[in-house]
Amino acid sequence: MPAARELPVRVTVNGVPRTATVAARTLLVHFLRDHLRLTGTHVGCDTTQCGACTVALDGVAVKSCTVLAAQADGHEVTTIEGLAPDQADGLHPIQRAFKEEHALQCGYCTPGMVMAVRQLIEDHPDPTREQVRHALAGNICRCTGYQNIVAAALRAARAAATDAAAEREG
Amino acid sequence: MFPADFAYVRPRTLDEALDLLDEAHAADQEAKLIAGGQSLLPMMKLRLAAPQVLIDIADLPELRGGGWMGWAAGGGFGGSLGALSTYRQLGRHALLTGGVIRGRTENVTPHHAEGIPAVTDVLTVLADPQVRARGTIGGAVAHGDPASDLPAVLLALDAELHIAFRKGRHPESHLGPYIPRRRSRAEKPSNIGRREITLDDFLQGVYTTDLAEDEIITRITIRHRGGAVSAYEKFPHPASHLPLAGVAVVLTYKAGRLTDSDGHVTDLADGSIAHAAIAVTGISPRPYRARAAEALLKDAFPTEETVAAAAAQVTTESPGSANRVSLLGDQHASAGYRAHLAEVLTRRALAKAIARGGRNS
Repeated sequence: MPAARELPVRVTVNGVPRTATVAARTLLVHFLRDHLRLTGTHVGCDTTQCGACTVALDGVAVKSCTVLAAQADGHEVTTIEGLAPDQADGLHPIQRAFKEEHALQCGYCTPGMVMAVRQLIEDHPDPTREQVRHALAGNICRCTGYQNIVAAALRAARAAATDAAAEREG
Repeated sequence: MFPADFAYVRPRTLDEALDLLDEAHAADQEAKLIAGGQSLLPMMKLRLAAPQVLIDIADLPELRGGGWMGWAAGGGFGGSLGALSTYRQLGRHALLTGGVIRGRTENVTPHHAEGIPAVTDVLTVLADPQVRARGTIGGAVAHGDPASDLPAVLLALDAELHIAFRKGRHPESHLGPYIPRRRSRAEKPSNIGRREITLDDFLQGVYTTDLAEDEIITRITIRHRGGAVSAYEKFPHPASHLPLAGVAVVLTYKAGRLTDSDGHVTDLADGSIAHAAIAVTGISPRPYRARAAEALLKDAFPTEETVAAAAAQVTTESPGSANRVSLLGDQHASAGYRAHLAEVLTRRALAKAIARGGRNS
């Protein structure tokens, strides 16, 4: 296989296999936004700092402005749009917690924050406040001062624990 | 922001990757290897790097996983980490960060591993969770960034790199025929050459390492002495989280008994230090071992005075020397301020490691 400036990529996005021929230098975030029109994933700083572009790649939160679409070829991506396919109100429990705790003002950083919190709760189902703050080290919010985002993450973790307990009891 | 245009290829085997490197150099094209891309892609987006060919080594099986070389006497161990191991994977490896180790079969009794606290330290203060999910240990050392956290800890753990290259380079390669610079392993029936080099010899200067343009780092080995205590302390730049200065320390206390020919038994475990490793990053063109400070700790007792005396020598070039290591300063922090930070952080890292206790303390 020779090196190519343009190449076909096949990425399973939110459970659906998607294919496109892209320039090799296409970033995953632009593949999602421009080719697939999934604009929930935002471009913030574009320099791997702000985390607004956070998506899950093979189930792990990454910054999609710092991954090539070509690197994601053959892999699975979950974006903010794919987080709550089965919820009646269209909201994932983390999104509901953000709403209830008023964890956003302008909302630009929110998709990335939610995707980072998803990773936190997967890694630490019962996180401490400090663990929440560490987990959000790669996400910048210029409005809220983070207090309500931390509260929302803690609320979402409690909700997930309650749901899991209810499921166990059948 | 887009990187400059390039051609991309993702080989499936080490052999194929070495061929691609060889071909690119023969065609006089600048080729770069990409694994996690967490340093390279930002540089490419800022056009600080503009390789013509990007060879994605993420699928090379030989660069994956942790093969462990087993247990040395006294509970130490040697570990071999695939160059593609991500920071996140390292942080979840019980042998490195502590936890229960289970054998592949049920015959092996699970046991508790103490981990290497300096590794846990560095993996919690390095970059951020998303970057740690992609960034790799091989990339961290190959990048040669003077302000990089992990190489300091690896230096203090006496890391060695395993490097592969194509034997009998392409006849038109501008690199010329391969002349081994250091020992290479026994010949195997393939045209993949292998060599090993200590991380200390590998790191050379600002973004400069011993890695030739047609070579690939495959594995990184570390050694951990039984009963060792360790810590990593850094002063991060508040925006980038990169270390303005960072210090890793690994201490081993004396252990065991010595019986002389007259039958006199001396208890060596008197609480003094048998071996000290101190590695500093962020202040010099490359992370370095502070040998002068290490020498002051050997055979000494871990008192506050000893710690302060050793820390005061952390920028001294070598034991007994009057020269300082070459220091870096920039708009974020002057050379003098970075040297000051290194001394303070050395004291803190030593105090933290000592407070963590050792088998014989």
